[in-house]
Amino acid sequence: MIRLSRSKSPRRTVAALCFSMPLMVSAQAGATPVHSATTERAGSISGTVSWWGWTPTDSAEATAEIAAFNKVYPNIKVKFKLITIANWVTALRPALVSGQGPDLFELQPGAYVTEFNSFARNMAPIAAQALGSDWRSKIAPSGISGFTYNGKLTALSVGSVYAGTLWVNVELFKEYHLSPPTTLAQWVKVCKAFKSHGVGCFVQGNETEGFLQDTLQSIANSVQPGLWTKASRGDAKWTSPGIVKTLTIWKRLFSDGIMESGSLGVQQYPDANNEFLTGKYAMIMMGTWYTANVTKNGMTSALQAAGVSNPKPFPILPIAFPNVGGHPSAMYGDADYGLAVYTKSKNTAAAETFAKWLATSSAGQQYVANQLEDLPSLKSVTPNYAAAGIVDPALQLGPVKKLAATVGNVTEPRESLLSSAMQNGSGGILSAAQGVATGSETPQAAAKALQAAAVASGVKFK
Amino acid sequence: MATVHQGLGNRAGEAPASSASANSRRAGSVVAHPRRSGLKLAPGLPWILPALVLCVGLIYYCIGYTGLISTWKWDGISPNPQHVGFGNYTELLHDPLFWGAVRHTVVFFAVTFTVQTFLGLTFAVLLHSRIRLAVVYKVIIFIPVVLAPAIMAPVFRAMLAPGGQFNQVLHDVGLGSLAQPWIGQPSTALPALMAITVWQFTGFTFVLYYAAMSQIDQSVLEAARLDGAGNLRVITSIVWPSVAGTTFALATLSVIGALKTFDIPWLVTAAGPNYATNFFGTYIYQEIIQLDNVGYGAALSILLLVTAVVFGVVLQLWRRRKAVQ
Repeated sequence: MIRLSRSKSPRRTVAALCFSMPLMVSAQAGATPVHSATTERAGSISGTVSWWGWTPTDSAEATAEIAAFNKVYPNIKVKFKLITIANWVTALRPALVSGQGPDLFELQPGAYVTEFNSFARNMAPIAAQALGSDWRSKIAPSGISGFTYNGKLTALSVGSVYAGTLWVNVELFKEYHLSPPTTLAQWVKVCKAFKSHGVGCFVQGNETEGFLQDTLQSIANSVQPGLWTKASRGDAKWTSPGIVKTLTIWKRLFSDGIMESGSLGVQQYPDANNEFLTGKYAMIMMGTWYTANVTKNGMTSALQAAGVSNPKPFPILPIAFPNVGGHPSAMYGDADYGLAVYTKSKNTAAAETFAKWLATSSAGQQYVANQLEDLPSLKSVTPNYAAAGIVDPALQLGPVKKLAATVGNVTEPRESLLSSAMQNGSGGILSAAQGVATGSETPQAAAKALQAAAVASGVKFK
Repeated sequence: MATVHQGLGNRAGEAPASSASANSRRAGSVVAHPRRSGLKLAPGLPWILPALVLCVGLIYYCIGYTGLISTWKWDGISPNPQHVGFGNYTELLHDPLFWGAVRHTVVFFAVTFTVQTFLGLTFAVLLHSRIRLAVVYKVIIFIPVVLAPAIMAPVFRAMLAPGGQFNQVLHDVGLGSLAQPWIGQPSTALPALMAITVWQFTGFTFVLYYAAMSQIDQSVLEAARLDGAGNLRVITSIVWPSVAGTTFALATLSVIGALKTFDIPWLVTAAGPNYATNFFGTYIYQEIIQLDNVGYGAALSILLLVTAVVFGVVLQLWRRRKAVQ
């Protein structure tokens, strides 16, 4: 074992130099130092805060959030840098390791918290300062458990997302007199009907891991409720019959014509999303974040991003994942993102002030809630649907409110229990799902590989 | 280097060491004085020093450091990497994904080099003949070379999608039965990437062959014609041997290019489906960036470097032997 001096950290510095010279050069730093945030008034805190994140996905939204923040804290300048989730680790790791990281960076429960927790300040005192000693009761539980690592609250949760739903194009179902499927048999039948009219049925990007994991977890929750989470925790083996059955049903989605041929070469964003929004497909696997598309503005913006020249918003609805395994499939979710303050930030007070405003103040959280992309972390805040401008309120408002109420009972995590190796490594979820889908692996062999990958990634099974 | 320095010194009328030393003292020369006669510093050293420092500092030091990391089990962040000796290399040799990457690289090189060589040579021969609009053809053939893969990748993703333009064309010409999800299934993903690569780099092959053919002595070609040689005979017996040096250079570049292939497979297929288009470069990226296996990725990088150097040396030796023959 080689031990290194943490203070000098020559290896980390050189590694950062070798692997990420360009990023180091572009990293932001050098703002005015300020004093502790905890004792100063709003007007007296100043500084320039660099904030790196993958959310909001539209930089304009971040700009608007910052503008609202500046009405309260005019002397703090916040610079948002949007980095796609696909490039997140590539950008963030070398920046943090080299000591040139952003003052504020976003974290997600699971692999990111595990990897970057040592670069994040403990945010529990900030939460307590903002919400009182009983702050834990005022924040969504997933926003606390997901960001807590070895007793440290690594980030303040801004909002949560939940998955396990399909979204349907209502007009296409009406046009062909079809009803959204509730079982596997109905799903197959509906897809045959759509295809007979030359319309795509269900679109999903299975090239990368994220969304196929959602589908697998939904299938598993229908086969044996809670089994996926148990396996993720090490309370059940991945070779359990329920997991094998899950993979068998996954294979049927391909062989029975629900999944499009070639979906293994399709990305959920932008490919599948664009196909759905342009009316080429009737269904897509998306979660609560897709609620933003029930609004006129949200849908119009999404259609424009999908390349539609004259966008006309159309109504979409969330439906429960079909009962493909014998039980209703429960939803699952985590905090979408939290704001972490870099341990080497020279603007700690200003950075903490912004994080506190966005994650714990009513004004900041209402802003997050009204965008309908994330459900607010603060329990007392609910989205203002009336102001959101829903495309077809009579049709959509009820289901959307029902969805928001349903996720209040969600207990299963989505990402937080799975490591990067388990998701993307050899024998992991991506490998198993693609292997079964292509027929190069049987469900049994894939389940064995999953178990081996889980053990290799450090999960201890009972 | 020694030969060059000696030559330069002789041309400049270099004096014996003691005399030179005395002269430079008198002249206040900035050239360093060797303590021993065998360690003369090149007069041009100060001029190349910045580049030397940059090369040694940024490239060779990093290679050495990567070699050190390859003996660690490390996530790239932890201050306490675990020393595992050659454990990462041993693990690599038993890793089916590694061997898959090797296989893909070999197939990729063999196919792309062969096809590019054939097409490049053909285009060069055709454009050396008297055809109209030759300049336009040259531009059309070469344009793909200057297009960045990052720009073309989304185009090819759209074109080769199940409902993409390529399948649409197949349907339109009555070949709809051949339509495939080209990049969405393991059986066609690698050939699709090879086709993209051939499209992109054939122009480069063409330009080198075109230039090489310009150097062929016209009298040899005319003599062959007088002896009754046809087009095919001229190409196989005169043109092809005459451009052997270019072919060799292209082979070397293709080997190195195949070994470090990253952008096209990563941007078009994300190394999938199911690792069907995984190469050294994509595997290194996955291990280091996605999976935090920095030590393992470093071992892969070192193996890649060693393989490239070995191939380079073998090809050089082969060329020298050919030249001697």
